[in-house]
Amino acid sequence: MATLKDFRGDQPTWCPGCGHFSVMSSLQKAAVDLGIEPHEMGVISGIGCSGKISEYTRAYGFHTLHGRALPVAQGAALGNKDVKIIASGGDGDGYGIGIGHFIHAVRRNIDITYLVMDNHIYGLTKGQTSPTSSQGFISKTSPKGSSEQPIQPLETALVNGISFLAQGFSGNIKQLNELVKAAIQHKGFALVNVFSPCVTFNKVNTYDFYKENLIDIGAIEGYDVNNRGKVIEKIRETNGLLTGILYQEEKATFEELTPEFPEASIAKQNLHLDVNVLKAIEKQFQ
Amino acid sequence: MKKYLMKGNEAIAEAAIQAGCRFYFGYPITPSTEIIEYMARKMQQVGGTFLQAESEIAAIYMVFGASGSGKRVMTASSSTGISLKQEGLSFLAANELPAVIVNIMRTGPGLGGLGATQADYFQATKGGGHGDYRLIVLAPNSVQEMTDLIMDGFDLADIYRNPVMILADGILGQMMEPVIFKEPEKIEIDKSWATTGANGRKRNIITSYNLHNEAGEEKALYLEQKYKGIKEQEQRWEEYHMEDAEYVFVAYGTSARIVKGAVDQLRKEGNKVGLIRPITLWPFPEKAFIPLLNRIKGYMVVEMSAGQMVEDVKLNVNGAAPVAFYSRQGGITPQPEEIIEKFNNSYHKGGEQ
Repeated sequence: MATLKDFRGDQPTWCPGCGHFSVMSSLQKAAVDLGIEPHEMGVISGIGCSGKISEYTRAYGFHTLHGRALPVAQGAALGNKDVKIIASGGDGDGYGIGIGHFIHAVRRNIDITYLVMDNHIYGLTKGQTSPTSSQGFISKTSPKGSSEQPIQPLETALVNGISFLAQGFSGNIKQLNELVKAAIQHKGFALVNVFSPCVTFNKVNTYDFYKENLIDIGAIEGYDVNNRGKVIEKIRETNGLLTGILYQEEKATFEELTPEFPEASIAKQNLHLDVNVLKAIEKQFQ
Repeated sequence: MKKYLMKGNEAIAEAAIQAGCRFYFGYPITPSTEIIEYMARKMQQVGGTFLQAESEIAAIYMVFGASGSGKRVMTASSSTGISLKQEGLSFLAANELPAVIVNIMRTGPGLGGLGATQADYFQATKGGGHGDYRLIVLAPNSVQEMTDLIMDGFDLADIYRNPVMILADGILGQMMEPVIFKEPEKIEIDKSWATTGANGRKRNIITSYNLHNEAGEEKALYLEQKYKGIKEQEQRWEEYHMEDAEYVFVAYGTSARIVKGAVDQLRKEGNKVGLIRPITLWPFPEKAFIPLLNRIKGYMVVEMSAGQMVEDVKLNVNGAAPVAFYSRQGGITPQPEEIIEKFNNSYHKGGEQ
């Protein structure tokens, strides 16, 4: 059985207090809790501070380009279904240039987990407005306040048919760990959006802000995790400041719906590319 | 004129505004982010429009849209972001839309790193997008020259109705140097092609779509003629100690600054060496080489890439003399002593060129 130590990769360079530490330990602990070995997990990340997670976690990993974690993750998952694929990134890459890939990954429902470290700012380039920054947010690229409305990732995922949606907070690592575990166990595309404060550049969406404003769905009477319409309504009502498993349903995956999808992992199939096969092919053209 | 101490990236942004740029569309990326931040602060103060796009692809097409209005527009990024813009650059060139695009290069291929490099020479000068098109590519080697070339770049873009790229690296973008902003030249430019609302005149159409091969060839020949004209008119280069040179270094941008030091040292040691520093990378300064072909004993190209401009140098030297090459890559800059050693090995000790 692997232990937490087995999943520790390179020494993190995130700022002290960065929310991403909690996301990474939740992921590593989830893997240990579920009995996943490092060689049975692939962490595919994008670009941003969040993208470093694939280097700091000792498993298979690929640090892709900005916003491209999901296409790479889907390819990897289809290539070897025996490796648990975790796509991860930030609000800047996943909900910016990656938003198109995100919507298609949601509707395609390939069996992967997507962890988004949402800090409402670009941290790696030192503090610019991000797609989830609030209207009026002041940063180096919006010195008088952002004019744009933020992306609504939860609603976007829901209206496009997501089968598992959770939201956590880096300040509540115990819950986050449970959410990540449930997401990995879910069959199909699972999104865990995590409020992961940037302590260096975002002085608005802080740990204190979330501690004061987040509502756990366990505290909401009659919350129905299977009712898509009602969940969307609740998200709108609370400005998305909810935590917990927000929506979940059993849904056929891309793999299940694809006719004759190979049962054995493609990566492990013998493609019979030996010399005799090639010679036989050659003969056909002689 | 007032002198300022400024970071290269900020000087680029200020020069653009002074040249009349009133639209900026961009996306943050190290090591060019100061350009977008400067534009965010300043563009509104001069009555222009600044927008941080959702991606570099969105930004280049916002440039496309704004350029159609006939007003001056710019975007900036660094290598990986410039790769994303290639489709848009092909479209800008095909639709003959003027714009200035700044590439503060970082290393590649793929994710690469943040160090200074010149590995995007091919992408900039040979066309990273599809089809037969050319960008005018200007390569500054100081903060002062960056501001001058930004201003010239807007003029060239307007005169030729063609996108212009400023190709620099992280060292030039990040370093601070004294800079004087020259008074932008007031040139008369006909922008009657712009889509400004057709009320009272014949309508203007900006398009590159062509399903008839004959019309396609006509357009291609027209563009070819235009590029020939640019090649004839706009080649720029600097010569350093070329009057009596027997051996010639060829380098641009940051490498050229380092080579100057090597040239000074080699001269002290009694070598008649000089430097040709291309300022326009496209059009490549072919004219600089013509008078040299009969008298130069050897050339040496220094680049921060695996060897890209060296191909253009070899084309123009055309076998008249050997062309040696020295480079450092992956974010490392070449040092003068290494360049001198390679030169001596190549031309005095019979070593490999």
